[in-house]
Amino acid sequence: MLQLELTIQGLINGSMYALMAVGLTLVYGLLRILHVAHAGLYTLGAYIAVLIANASGSLLLGAAVAIPAVGLAGMAVYRLLYEPILDRPPYVALIASIGLFIVMEEAYRLVFGPYGETFSTPYLAGRLAIGPIGAKGAEVLMVIAAFGLLTLLALLARRTRFGVAWRATVSDPAMARSFGVDTIKVRYVNFFVASGLAASAAILVAVLNNLVEPTMGSVPSYKTLAIIVLGGLGNVAGTLAASLALGVIEAFGTIYIGHLLDRDAIAFLFLVLVLMIRPQGLFAAK
Amino acid sequence: MNRRTAIQFMLAGASALALGGHRAALAQQGPVKIGFHAPLTGFAAADGKSAQLGAELAVAQANAAGGIGGRKIELDIIDDQGKPEQGVPVANRYIGEKHPVVVSGSYSGPTRAAAPVFHGASVPYISAYAIHPDITRSGNYVFRTSFMGEVQGRAGAKLVGEMLNKKKVVVITVNNDFGQALAAGFKEAAPKFGINIMKEYFFGMPDRQFGPLVASVKADNPEAIYASGYFFNAGPLVAQLRGAGVNVPIIGQEGYDGQKFIEIAGPAAEGVIITTSLDRDSKVPETVKFITEFEKANPGAKVDMVAASTHTATRVAIEALKKAGLTDRAKIREAIAATDMDASTGHISFNKLGEVKKAVQNQIVKDGRWRHHSVIDDPVLLAPPES
Amino acid sequence: MGSYELSLVTLAAIYAMLALSLNLITGFCGQISLGHAAFFGAGAYAAALLSKSGGPFVAALGAGMLVAALFGLVVGLASLRVRHDFLAITTMGVGFLFLGFVRKQKALGAELGISGIPDHGLGAWGLALLAVALTVATAILSLHIRRAWAGRAFAAIADDEDTARTMGIDVVRYKLVAFVMGTAIAGLAGGVFAHFTRFIIPDAFGFTVSISILAMVIVGGIGSTWGVLVGAVMLTLLPELFRFINDYKLLIYGSLLLLVMRFAPGGLAGALAPLFRRAGTAAGGAR
Repeated sequence: MLQLELTIQGLINGSMYALMAVGLTLVYGLLRILHVAHAGLYTLGAYIAVLIANASGSLLLGAAVAIPAVGLAGMAVYRLLYEPILDRPPYVALIASIGLFIVMEEAYRLVFGPYGETFSTPYLAGRLAIGPIGAKGAEVLMVIAAFGLLTLLALLARRTRFGVAWRATVSDPAMARSFGVDTIKVRYVNFFVASGLAASAAILVAVLNNLVEPTMGSVPSYKTLAIIVLGGLGNVAGTLAASLALGVIEAFGTIYIGHLLDRDAIAFLFLVLVLMIRPQGLFAAK
Repeated sequence: MNRRTAIQFMLAGASALALGGHRAALAQQGPVKIGFHAPLTGFAAADGKSAQLGAELAVAQANAAGGIGGRKIELDIIDDQGKPEQGVPVANRYIGEKHPVVVSGSYSGPTRAAAPVFHGASVPYISAYAIHPDITRSGNYVFRTSFMGEVQGRAGAKLVGEMLNKKKVVVITVNNDFGQALAAGFKEAAPKFGINIMKEYFFGMPDRQFGPLVASVKADNPEAIYASGYFFNAGPLVAQLRGAGVNVPIIGQEGYDGQKFIEIAGPAAEGVIITTSLDRDSKVPETVKFITEFEKANPGAKVDMVAASTHTATRVAIEALKKAGLTDRAKIREAIAATDMDASTGHISFNKLGEVKKAVQNQIVKDGRWRHHSVIDDPVLLAPPES
Repeated sequence: MGSYELSLVTLAAIYAMLALSLNLITGFCGQISLGHAAFFGAGAYAAALLSKSGGPFVAALGAGMLVAALFGLVVGLASLRVRHDFLAITTMGVGFLFLGFVRKQKALGAELGISGIPDHGLGAWGLALLAVALTVATAILSLHIRRAWAGRAFAAIADDEDTARTMGIDVVRYKLVAFVMGTAIAGLAGGVFAHFTRFIIPDAFGFTVSISILAMVIVGGIGSTWGVLVGAVMLTLLPELFRFINDYKLLIYGSLLLLVMRFAPGGLAGALAPLFRRAGTAAGGAR
């Protein structure tokens, strides 16, 4: 019974990872950069949502503003920071991204204070249960949102004209361009979607913890890097699988070997072991 | 980042620069300077902010009462980011500035690294709330105005095992020096109060989601939970435990202490009891004055343990300077060692090692506020080490 | 120079050693590492333990080097399996594993770390001079390697591993040499650090430290010994210059990383190189 609950909790946490990491792996697939500032955009989403929700009394309004706003912010990050340095070695974008992440965290602290924000009325705090197994409303929504949004994304990629252009650009940008695909537009849409997904993850985490703090992106900033590597860098299905696997492994690990290793070390032990056996990640990129 | 924000950053930097220069110029005119370092940026910025507010209030109160011999007091504040490698340069900087006394409003990392440097230069150094057991062992110029982690852990055991009479206990420990020290004290004293520790769980300081841990604790079915951690861990932890239907008493410690914990946990916070240093319902005039003046000086803010402990440490420093003058460090050290006064955190004095002797205040959440629960004033149980 | 300035010199020299040592692995040999702080930490812990058990300071430094190098050899062997960004994240994982392991080891003080590390006996001046001397030695070694055959082999591997292999370069051997040298020097820096703070805790060797070491290398100018040296000193001391605006210190640090990468992606060395070259041609013209 405990094992079942741990698995469920692992999948809940894995869903949060997935919402974050899928966007990150999309960015990687397109541009070959490790976009650490993704976690800064994530935090931005939570702040916008909590401020609007508290001012208006509607979390839905907060989310409706935050998700597209963060999408636009993601596009701006691409245009102003990454585009001019795309032809440089990948570590240039990595350090720039880390710099931006630090700047964002500090800006949140300076503007909103170090203590963090809470919702003036708690949302989705109730518990949904089937027999003895249950989860908080926010946790259930996390899983549903991850499943729903990622299914939507898959439909977009598989069933629409734009999706075809998108996938073509990821697999061979030069070829896509020669077929008349607007690869620049693809990049903007890519950043918009990825950042919007991060914002939605952040809003769910904010509701679940009832806390939005300047540093809430610090753990996702590096944990999601591990996930996209596990998933094969640029492989969306692999990232999804890696997110859920890592969530479950952390859930069991913290309970059964938490006295030997901390949560991060458990996650990275798994990562290192996997990479020693499969250096290209659980699933190869293509 | 676009050009305009870049310019804004530069302007912010330039204006801060001008401000800094102005502040340095004032220093020449003769206020008494007290060194004060805290983690104003980085992972511990929230506590750093509270520490700064507590210290600034102590200084403002002293200045309103005439300062030291008519001279105004001023804090020389440095941000140490909570990093141990900052401890040595920070200490040397203050030593070079020849400040008569220095207060740490920081965590164990920088404080433990700085302490031997201060002792070596014979500069009295008071740690407000860092818990590392070896801080005061650096030498007799080093003092601490809060409980060592072990001492508070022992008080927690008495609260759980004797006062609440709960024997089957699950311990949840935060992975850092604070959590380790608290757990060590709790486990040491547990047999004395008949406590059976069913299981110990661990989590990291950045953790906010405790789903697996909560599920496992629920399966353990304990009579009480003793959990270390800070308000940003404890808020979500308590809410998630209660949300999952775990309704046994939760006993925390000073890391929870602050209004933010209650804001985060919401109604789930009700009934949580902690061991701490500040009694909100105290009748001690000094404590009452601290609480009212803190909330007047910082509208919208509520007092917390860090602010109170730092206020106490800063006051100890100021009182010692009033008694011993500003020049003779040995005399200042003696004056600190001889401290015997009512402070915002209760009546305090120091033992031979420089560890504080005071009662533990137990606070309980009632109607969304921290309120008085009980006091543990057991000199034997709470005795800090003498060496 | 007061003791404050001396402690800054010591700290800057320790970071310069770390950055130069990472530059051997990342700059010369092209192997990005996001876990260099683990080797720094391994050296610090080994040196601290030896010193506390009564060993002389020099032996402690040697122990720091040795333990870090052995650890580096193991990680180097493991890293042969992975490349590019996979390698970067693997080394990051090694950093987190190291930290997670140390946190729970009673023999290493667990979360409370190791305090009361004995005095090195050199005084503040002595330690600062030693740290600077070791940094200079590391810089000279770097410059020498760059010009030697090993440097060319490293460069070939950094450029394109497969081509290097077809050219007959023993890629495995040179990669391991780079890892062992780089981590040994990081361990040495750790030994000096442990005796500088005389107190170490796990958090002093975390991910953010690894990141700031890599930032020094890249902001300075990857592969350039002089650039990395300047980058390390600048990123260590710059926050000190902004001490009086405590609240904006990290913001300035982050902006600096961002702006240098955005407007001078080659790092300081890349940005300054044209100036030197121009000066060089001018001098050449005069000849």
